[in-house]
Amino acid sequence: MKKTITIILLTVVAATMVLMTSIPTTMAPAQSNPAIVLSPNIPGDATFGPLPTNPTNEQKLLAIQGDFDIYSWNTFIALNWPPGPDGNGDPNKKIGQNGDNDTVWEHYRDVADIFLPGGATPSWNGPETVPTQCKAFYKPGMKILSQVGKTPTVLTDFSQPFNTGPLIDQNGNYTRYDILVNKPMFDYILANKLYSKAGQQAFKGEVQFPCGGPTGPEGAIMVKSSWKVISPADRGRFHTQTVLVYNPASQNPKYAASCSTKLMGLVGLHIGHKTDSGAQWLWSTFEHVDNAPSEADIGSNNTLKPKTYNYYNPKCSTKNCPPNQVPPRPWNPTKLSAFHSQIVRMNMFKGNEFAFQSAAARNADALQLLLGVNSKSVWRNYELISTMWPTNTGKCQATPGDPLGTPAPNFLANTTLETYIQGMVPNVSSNCIECHNNATMTNAKASDFTYILQRAQ
Amino acid sequence: MSNGAFTQYDVVIVGAGVSGNLIAKQLGLAGKKVLILEAGLPVPDSREEYVNNFYLALAKTPESPYPALAGRTGSQQNPVGALPDPSKLPTPRATVLSIGKAPDVSYLVQAQPWIETHDPKLPPQNPPPDANGNIRGLQFSSTFERNGGGTSWHWLGTSLRELENDIQLQTKYGHGVDWPITYPELQQLWALAEKEIGVAASTAEQEPLEVVGLVYPTGYQYPMQSIPMSTVDDAVSKGIAGLQVPGTLPDTPGGSDPTMYNVFVTPTPQGRNSEPYDDRRVCAGNTNCIPICPIQAKWDPTVTLGKALDTGNVTVSYQSVAYNVAVDGTNATRIDYYVWSRDANGNLTKVSKSVTGKIYVLAAHAIENAKLLLMSNNWNGIANSSDQVGRNLMDHPLYLSWALAPEPLFGYRGPLATSGIESLRDGEFRKYRSSFRMEIGNEGWNFSKGDPYTTALDYIQGTNNTGTNDGGPNGAPQRLAGVQLAEKLNNILTRQFRIGCMFDQSPMAENRVTLDVTNGKPNNVDGLGLPRPKVEYGLDPYTMEGFRMAAYVCSQVYQKMGAKEFTTTGMGSAGDFTYRGVNYHYYGAGHVVGTHRMGNESGSSVVDASQRSHDVPNLWIVGSGSFPTVCTANPTLTLMALAFKSADSIIAALGS
Amino acid sequence: MSTNPSTPSEATLQAFADMSAALTGFQSSFIRPFLDPVNLSGTFYSFAVSQVGQPRMDALLAAFNNLNNQTPKPTPQQIADTLLETSLDAPSLQAQLCQSIVAMWYLGSWYTPGVLGGNGFAPPALQVITSQAYTKSLVWNLAQSHPMGFSPFVFGYWSQQPASLQTFGVDTSNGGGQ
Repeated sequence: MKKTITIILLTVVAATMVLMTSIPTTMAPAQSNPAIVLSPNIPGDATFGPLPTNPTNEQKLLAIQGDFDIYSWNTFIALNWPPGPDGNGDPNKKIGQNGDNDTVWEHYRDVADIFLPGGATPSWNGPETVPTQCKAFYKPGMKILSQVGKTPTVLTDFSQPFNTGPLIDQNGNYTRYDILVNKPMFDYILANKLYSKAGQQAFKGEVQFPCGGPTGPEGAIMVKSSWKVISPADRGRFHTQTVLVYNPASQNPKYAASCSTKLMGLVGLHIGHKTDSGAQWLWSTFEHVDNAPSEADIGSNNTLKPKTYNYYNPKCSTKNCPPNQVPPRPWNPTKLSAFHSQIVRMNMFKGNEFAFQSAAARNADALQLLLGVNSKSVWRNYELISTMWPTNTGKCQATPGDPLGTPAPNFLANTTLETYIQGMVPNVSSNCIECHNNATMTNAKASDFTYILQRAQ
Repeated sequence: MSNGAFTQYDVVIVGAGVSGNLIAKQLGLAGKKVLILEAGLPVPDSREEYVNNFYLALAKTPESPYPALAGRTGSQQNPVGALPDPSKLPTPRATVLSIGKAPDVSYLVQAQPWIETHDPKLPPQNPPPDANGNIRGLQFSSTFERNGGGTSWHWLGTSLRELENDIQLQTKYGHGVDWPITYPELQQLWALAEKEIGVAASTAEQEPLEVVGLVYPTGYQYPMQSIPMSTVDDAVSKGIAGLQVPGTLPDTPGGSDPTMYNVFVTPTPQGRNSEPYDDRRVCAGNTNCIPICPIQAKWDPTVTLGKALDTGNVTVSYQSVAYNVAVDGTNATRIDYYVWSRDANGNLTKVSKSVTGKIYVLAAHAIENAKLLLMSNNWNGIANSSDQVGRNLMDHPLYLSWALAPEPLFGYRGPLATSGIESLRDGEFRKYRSSFRMEIGNEGWNFSKGDPYTTALDYIQGTNNTGTNDGGPNGAPQRLAGVQLAEKLNNILTRQFRIGCMFDQSPMAENRVTLDVTNGKPNNVDGLGLPRPKVEYGLDPYTMEGFRMAAYVCSQVYQKMGAKEFTTTGMGSAGDFTYRGVNYHYYGAGHVVGTHRMGNESGSSVVDASQRSHDVPNLWIVGSGSFPTVCTANPTLTLMALAFKSADSIIAALGS
Repeated sequence: MSTNPSTPSEATLQAFADMSAALTGFQSSFIRPFLDPVNLSGTFYSFAVSQVGQPRMDALLAAFNNLNNQTPKPTPQQIADTLLETSLDAPSLQAQLCQSIVAMWYLGSWYTPGVLGGNGFAPPALQVITSQAYTKSLVWNLAQSHPMGFSPFVFGYWSQQPASLQTFGVDTSNGGGQ
């Protein structure tokens, strides 16, 4: 009975999904509340419900953070939806209905296939770049491909931005990163020839990726994923992929190129989306629930959940395994590392408790929906950390005088992706918008909050 | 005996700064095993703590971000004034806030200015000149760090090359000494340093400086496009169009250079990213190069240290203070050092250790290198048959002038300095007076008056500590509010700018670093019981004539621009002196050089052109301490260039 | 609202923010925006109370509210001049407190009311209130720039003219004219 009511409610909500189109700056009530839904439709933007009457600053922030967190979950669900032949989410399927599934975002274009040697023109559907060393693994008929017969992902990147350091799991394997962009983002790069140094040099004007709007379609989306080597026994707990892990040759540290097939589990997902309400983009970040304990978990005795963490060894004392230390150099991803990262999630929401409250509530809602599809859905093991959004911005453009848009919350990090800057120091600790504001093209011109353009050759 | 590691080291380096890290990297790449002994704390995993220290510092001095144990300033826990006692610290160092203070605050033991030692009711005075016209007993005002990465955490980034005549001052102008290295060789070495750092500049933009002997090999390209000039640079450049000044002022002792020199602005080659480079971000103009770039767009020695560690052949032992280089006959045989730490109660503890290598490199900074050499061999000193260790201490004393432009030129933006006036750095006048370069600051009156704080408080509280607030009745200060206050501050702050002149100070044997001991007993020690450096410093008429000229040129610049000058000087404080009846003030530029100078003759120099000791063949003593003269460019680029040469010579000495 | 008795009410915080806007010459939206994840108004209010005591702050806000509720309503400039007593030779204790409040917003630090600088130097501050108080301090807006150590701008901005003072938050529409 309860399930029926839930479905009816969702239908009602979907039908009246006009709602407010920009962050409410008045107290005028909206028609109805946004909600997390099981849908393959990628939200073009967040939508907003009414504010409470006579709200305090905290209450306003909590309400709107909630709307953005709902948007983030809806985006996560839609991006991880099983794709149909056209690459969009297949309306005849449901996320996690068979436990794990191929996803829409994994058919986006990898940045390695956009910024080609010699600045060659990329294509949306062309073959993927497969390094020489990996071709040896590429025999016809060999069953190493992922579920939909697509070319396996090649994962190369292993160090966090600006060479701050790698993340190494409890077995000594390096975590791998990958960046993909959706078609609107790819099309903008292609049309403006931003895929090459020469094209960037010739480009006049400002880089401005397209904004999504509340009634769709979506704007530019970039997805950054982090992956951990797992064993087959772990399959049920992770979204998994069989990938080719490629290590390009390195001069310093010195090692030769190599390639191998690995079973990897998704441990972190960043979704950046340029929208009308997010002129500085909206930044949603998700983690695998087993990644690391929080400061609070460790603080009190015996509250550490009796489980295996992806990046934390409960048996190692603070003295022997001080948390969040960068592995010592040299970093050689071709070998197992003796050093294992001991990661703790730091509290970066002091003074912004609304971020914590909102994520917890939205995670509970989403979990219910996902379990409702299949109690063994791998997607039940992912949680939203938070969404960073600009509190002071215009429709698809910054408010003059506030280029950063005064983001909320003030700081945000994913333990797998910004492991070593989980603090609360402005301009240095992880803040998606502050850091990405420094992003440029190869010629130092602003690149609209994305670092991928600096990969152009 | 080794320090516990199984490896036998090829080379032991003291100091993880510019030179130490660069040499370690080069050696590591060549397969040599290296141990770096670093006195201070490790390089942190992120710069969050350092930047937060800076944000919370009440006095945002160059040392303000760096480790607390060695003299942190400014916070609720440690407000300005409650500075730590160097005798209790393991790695005390010279800091801006300790300049002029007694040894219970100042790590360097030196003469104090009048204002610290005299009855304030008496009229203040500056030390008088001696029989040679030199003024002695002046404060050495430059500072340094002792931590992983070293002093150049807070270098500005200025990466100018020296001029051809800089390195042959004696031959060309009969003053100072020549360098034992040729300009073409330095050009090759600078190119290596510019690539290592990532220097942004364009040789085409530097062409006007051929007139002072700045030339590049044909076809040379800097690694990155130049940094755009600021609105301040543009205003100065346009405002002084056509300005000329003579080489010397009338009545310059010794002679005159009546040539008229063109005064013009050129952009400065800088060690900060103008493109994504080396996995680091592009400069965002945080206007904070000194004391710390929050996004590491500016190169600092930790970048090179990372590459050194990447080789897999370099180990760093932190909190390791070298105190003795043992020499057996002619060769160095081991380094003794203390490893210090703090126990659970915060008490300082130390353990003595030793390490051996085939070759030893001292890269601990000009003052610490001298101190270590002098302390070695039971304080009898080593590598000092020339008696030059510790002598010829030089800085670029810095003359600061500041003004209000007639129209807004929008300082407080961009890197701290993006251009300068380099066109007066060479000429006949160098026979008679010190040369200087002029750095145009982009930070308003921040350096000059601690602005925008001082000006803001002037107009909020109705005081006139900056000199601009005299617009009330009878010249009284105004006290403003609301939009009127905001608009007045806008009017003032957007017109503020400053020029800093840095002098090619003469090498003088009596400007020196020694150990602060009497009759074999230290007068002052640090927390490890090691003697403190005693510094004797002063200026000669050659240098002071430079000040006289600089004050004139700055005033000419302001006059030509229609700007109103606000430069003030006092009397009796550290850095104040009187020359020919005029009061001047100098700051330290942080450019400490000369204490183990290089030369071809072992009788008058400590090291050769490779920075290898004349006396101890397996000892290299590296860094700006090797500079025989301070020349006219900021020293970091050149000291790194020399480190490349040293690394090559060490690898050759090690054989295959 | 809140179970913490020392957390000020919305009305109190808004009054403090409106008063601060008048005193500093900034638009209210710069002092206390509609959505305020940084909440400097709250931080500064609490810090000032911890330094001078609740009664002095209450009295000050009462004086502001009185002024603000007059008809005709005074301009922000008039409110600022009245509270800061700019026409008097010696400002009262309350005006000195207002000076310290202006200094908090402009400089991010607490300056003890009534302590003046001298001999060419500013008075010493007690402390920088928080790192965000520094990185959001407003005197840099008056320079049409950003705090040293925190630039929200992009490469090369320093070679261009900055945006207007109005864009940087000063309420020039209500006229200063100095």
